[in-house]
Amino acid sequence: MTEATFPQCRVDSERFMNPETTERLLNQIISVPGVRRMVLNGPRLPATVPYGPSKGIANPHPMRKTIRVGDQEMELQVHVGTVLLELENRDIIPALKAAIEPVFRDFSFHIKEGRFMKTEPSLVDFCKYGPDADKEIIGLADPNSRSKPIIIQGTK
Amino acid sequence: MAYKPQYGPGQSVPAANRRKQMDPSRKLAKLRDVSDKDLVLVMGHRAPGSAYPSAHPPLSEQQEPACPIRKIVTPTDGAKAGDRVRYIQFSDSMYNAPCQPYQRSYLEAYRFRGIDPGTLSGRQIVECRERDLEKYAKELVGTELFDTALTGIRGCTVHGHSLRLDENGMMFDMLQRAVIDKKSGVVKIVKDQVGVPLDAEVKLGKAMDAKWLKANTTMFHSVSGVGFRDDPEYVEYIQRIHSLRTKYGFMPKEA
Repeated sequence: MTEATFPQCRVDSERFMNPETTERLLNQIISVPGVRRMVLNGPRLPATVPYGPSKGIANPHPMRKTIRVGDQEMELQVHVGTVLLELENRDIIPALKAAIEPVFRDFSFHIKEGRFMKTEPSLVDFCKYGPDADKEIIGLADPNSRSKPIIIQGTK
Repeated sequence: MAYKPQYGPGQSVPAANRRKQMDPSRKLAKLRDVSDKDLVLVMGHRAPGSAYPSAHPPLSEQQEPACPIRKIVTPTDGAKAGDRVRYIQFSDSMYNAPCQPYQRSYLEAYRFRGIDPGTLSGRQIVECRERDLEKYAKELVGTELFDTALTGIRGCTVHGHSLRLDENGMMFDMLQRAVIDKKSGVVKIVKDQVGVPLDAEVKLGKAMDAKWLKANTTMFHSVSGVGFRDDPEYVEYIQRIHSLRTKYGFMPKEA
């Protein structure tokens, strides 16, 4: 869930990004002060095959790697194609654009301002996750997931 | 009456390519060599070199029912041997892949015998007797119908057809059955159709370049190739079919 008062924007790339490019992009984003939250979107890369005849066996995937963003290590769970950002104010968007431009040398990207994160839990959220679900996470990721958000220190 | 099949409408490049692929009198251009062993490995139905599991006792010793159709139709090699029915399934990226699901079913129906194609939006499966399948699969993988980056041999978790390509130009695959070697550009298959790792990787060769893909695709795509609406003849044909299908229940009569 997010507070509707904060502006948001979305970074879309023309291609799905390799882990190295994602790492570069995220580090460029956090170099700009004023980013409150980020959500990485893209198709999932599960550690084991989730269905089909080979269900349950390991799924080695070259795009699922551990990357280092700021002072934190994180394991990618998706093939990143879109990054949603929650900002403290909209004045930093030009600086953000300038910071991430050098990352996309071989293909293009768009940065768009809008509302991309949920501000109210829906009835479906209530049915799926119950009344005690973590409201910070609803609408951004699955609250039932055991993985927690990663907090990157020292960006202010 | 002398009848000359037209195969399909349209004046654009993808339309002409569709006709070319469907026409059984035209030989498909061979682009890569794939050995029988490699194909068997990638499909994963049997161990390479093992015998085909077939009907036992052999069909020739079994009492087959008296059937006029059996007398008319010459069986394919696989049917004659009583082989199992097995499959190969393809996903085609919408970014100028050389073939696409509907097209696959059409051209297989024109070119192959004893097949059961299944067409879905982003993937196409063809089932037939194992012996025949290996013969047909060689044509489907070794010729201009296949691109190593934009076509996937996927028995399950086929998602990728409508997604962006990745940075290396490969279609998304959750199980990453095909991996590109960045330095040489050669695509290797490292898992079989259903995602079981192979003992030995299968090298399929380099991906085709963008120019070749644009000239040989059968996919309409308004951003990366030719838009469907840029081919008025095709639009007219599809609208006519749509209209007739919609009116079918009311016994349409054409003016």
